[in-house]
Amino acid sequence: MATPIELDRGGALFKLEALEQQVQEFRQFYASPDLHKWLSNVLPTMASAYDIEINPLEQFVALSEIFCAGERLTYELQFKPLIHITDGVWELKTQDIRIFGWFHKKDCFIGSVADDATRIKKYRLYHGYANVTTKRFREALDLDNPKYVPGDNPHAVVSNFDYP
Amino acid sequence: MPSFQISITPSRRAAARFITGVRRKILKALEEENKKRGLRQTDLARAINVHRSVINRELRGKKDMTIGRAAELGWALGRVPTFDLPERTIQEGSNLPAPAIVTGPSVGVSQANPFARQEPATATTKPLKNVTVRVLDDATV
Repeated sequence: MATPIELDRGGALFKLEALEQQVQEFRQFYASPDLHKWLSNVLPTMASAYDIEINPLEQFVALSEIFCAGERLTYELQFKPLIHITDGVWELKTQDIRIFGWFHKKDCFIGSVADDATRIKKYRLYHGYANVTTKRFREALDLDNPKYVPGDNPHAVVSNFDYP
Repeated sequence: MPSFQISITPSRRAAARFITGVRRKILKALEEENKKRGLRQTDLARAINVHRSVINRELRGKKDMTIGRAAELGWALGRVPTFDLPERTIQEGSNLPAPAIVTGPSVGVSQANPFARQEPATATTKPLKNVTVRVLDDATV
């Protein structure tokens, strides 16, 4: 059993350094090896399905900065529970992408998989990503117990948010 | 350590943060006006004579919002739209090599500045890569 920091050191997780060095980090974002690969290789090649001026990579950069800096998030617009599929699984959202994962502790997100939002809806991939990919990764990860914050209460997983 | 960074050009980063911040600020103002006097997206749409679905897509970021539309929405919210371009300033107490700190432009419909976070002007464009050490943390300044 290990903490996310120890898993990051061991290569089982990848900690995202989203902020400039003089900025205090208030939330942590860890990625699975698969999510790290996707962020590195796939995200930079994606175009927006909405033909908007900020592409998916820029959307993610903006969201990750807001997230890690502890700035106010908007429930459902930027993070949303998927408890109807799997307990404790949440998605972080931008216009074009969805990142599936869970909160190990309040303000500590561990992402397991991400994909194009349009593709997820078209092929109905929510169940697979939440209940199979994320759940299996969470179960297999040698993370300290309790591994995740259960339930769908946004106050239990994120500080500083509001409703749209 | 396998920690990693995702970098885009500082100009695009500023753009992404600015666009997100403008939308965020309008949503926040709408939330406040909704609590205060029950204002809804439908009311905004009616006030500026566009369909509600257009406003909804713009506020959810699924349609680009023009500068003019941001001002219209600000007006419809009963706020004063403003746009500021503060000069770059050096942050006191920073352990970064000076003069690295800038504040982003701000625009909005309320008093709070969504761009309170500062970023270095010297940031460089680099591809996504693993980062093993944070060089400046160890630098002798």
